[in-house]
Amino acid sequence: MSRLTRRNFLQVSAGLVALSGVAATPSTAETSLDEETLATLIDCTRCDGCVDYDVPLCVAACRERALSRIPDPVNPIPPLFPRGMIEDWSTRKDVYDRLTPYTQLFVQRADIPEDGGIRTVYLPRRCMHCDNPPCATLCPFTANHKYPDGSVVIDPDLCFGGAKCRSVCPWSIPQRQSGVGIYLEIMPTLAGNGVMFKCDLCHDRLLNKQLPLCVEACPRDAMVIGLRRDIIKEAERRAAATGGYLYGLTENGGTGTIYLSPVPFEEINKVVEKGPGRPHFDKVSRRPARASLMETSVLMSPVIGMGAGLTAAMLAVRNRGIKKGGGESDD
Amino acid sequence: MTDHVSEGKNLVRRHSVLELVEHWAIALSGLLLILTGLLELPIGKRYYVTEIPGFSWSGDFYTTLTIHYIAAVVFIVAAFFHVFYHGLLGEGGMLPRRGDLKESVGVIKTFFGKGDEPPFEKYLPEQRLAYAGMAVIIAMLIISGLVKTYKNLLDPQLSHTVTMAATWIHNIFFVLFVAAVIAHIAALVIKPNRPMIRGIFTGTVRLDYARRRHPLWMAGLERTKTPSADGRGWVGGEVAGSGAGADGNVSSGEKPDPEHVAGSERANDKKEES
Repeated sequence: MSRLTRRNFLQVSAGLVALSGVAATPSTAETSLDEETLATLIDCTRCDGCVDYDVPLCVAACRERALSRIPDPVNPIPPLFPRGMIEDWSTRKDVYDRLTPYTQLFVQRADIPEDGGIRTVYLPRRCMHCDNPPCATLCPFTANHKYPDGSVVIDPDLCFGGAKCRSVCPWSIPQRQSGVGIYLEIMPTLAGNGVMFKCDLCHDRLLNKQLPLCVEACPRDAMVIGLRRDIIKEAERRAAATGGYLYGLTENGGTGTIYLSPVPFEEINKVVEKGPGRPHFDKVSRRPARASLMETSVLMSPVIGMGAGLTAAMLAVRNRGIKKGGGESDD
Repeated sequence: MTDHVSEGKNLVRRHSVLELVEHWAIALSGLLLILTGLLELPIGKRYYVTEIPGFSWSGDFYTTLTIHYIAAVVFIVAAFFHVFYHGLLGEGGMLPRRGDLKESVGVIKTFFGKGDEPPFEKYLPEQRLAYAGMAVIIAMLIISGLVKTYKNLLDPQLSHTVTMAATWIHNIFFVLFVAAVIAHIAALVIKPNRPMIRGIFTGTVRLDYARRRHPLWMAGLERTKTPSADGRGWVGGEVAGSGAGADGNVSSGEKPDPEHVAGSERANDKKEES
């Protein structure tokens, strides 16, 4: 596959379904392997930030979906003990220049000085859908999970809004809406603080063989989605053809979102506005590190304990001269 | 390794050094696992734990996770060592037996002044039940924890069902573990149990206490006694560290008359304690 368009993405999906012999429902999706993991290429050589529109079309489409999925918070939002860290975006739903629960995709603008002038690059920003998403693996309630299609999805019915996912995300992507969610039913002042929201790659639409809304909405085909291996090839092909630069291939150990830019990301990172809800373009090494010594040790510890127990028991038997008979054990 | 008596010091060895190491490895790593497990919830910053001097690390989830993993290595190695070592040596004195539940209820009633305690073996029936309960809790924590670690390490796309099950088993048994630890410590606050406290620190308990309250254990020791190396006491023959041999032999048909074994010491000690 040399070029991935919306249409042949659907063909790929249909082919996968045919190969597996089952419909792509949530239950069957869980049993499948990385073969069907998807990735998105965001081609910033094509994105023009929808400057002719009030709101970029991808952002508007994404926002419509968010508005339909986020319930109104309770009024008043319960005070939080002991800190009053309430984050209420329901009164600021029209903020488009950063990530919020309602704006899970926004277009970042980078004005890069070039040859005495300014070169502007537009970069749609949202969850990267990491290969090893710490937001999901470290969620204390598994309210956040990476599915075989590659999407990292927060279940709003399980999320307590503690924002651990935002703390461990290299880009601090998830955003909190206080006053909604399951925490209200338990100990609203003591535990939890709402629900975390972020792009879920339109997971439900993918299961129905539909494109993510942002991909579908883009008037310039700046976003393409397809099988991970195909998208990587396509990204590298375009980068080679245009002399462009890629971001997301290796960040945090690899992600499902690859940016193609005509200027180096170091330059972009210098000029984009960064801060809460405005992610950087830094280099990011994977955390927790893959096959870290600690994790490997944990997985090996049963074997170590077993070996030590066996050895010590054999030594004890030899030292004591005990001959263990079949009837002795009262286990 | 064997339980032995030192008449001169009025002591009897209840736990070997190895058993003390096992216990404290589990206990201390377990406490660290509880602390860092709690800090896996986003509470460090919210509840000002990070502002306690020396606890600034508590809000960094990667730090708390690393400490959790280090403690888990000690915890899991100790647990597997315990099972395989004592299992292979046939030391099952702490395993529950038929009738333990009923007997435990009776013993608990005596704590509230109802009736007299029956003569005990090395472990009280409720200790054997508590051991089994703790073993199940620890086993579930280890299994679910290993699944979670495997997911973090190798397979972030591990089935949602398996991940969800591992997470919630880990969370629910965490709560049970905390409750069990509290109950375990609370049991030692009960007056008749207090003489056992020194046992888990020094490995020995008072001989007069053991003779009075654990006559079945002591009977097993005395029945097979041989002089100890220092010539000042004696050593139980096939009495293994956990008391399995003694308990097993005693309960296999040679159960001594508790009144006879305990004799007047029981009555005297009782007077002292009251």
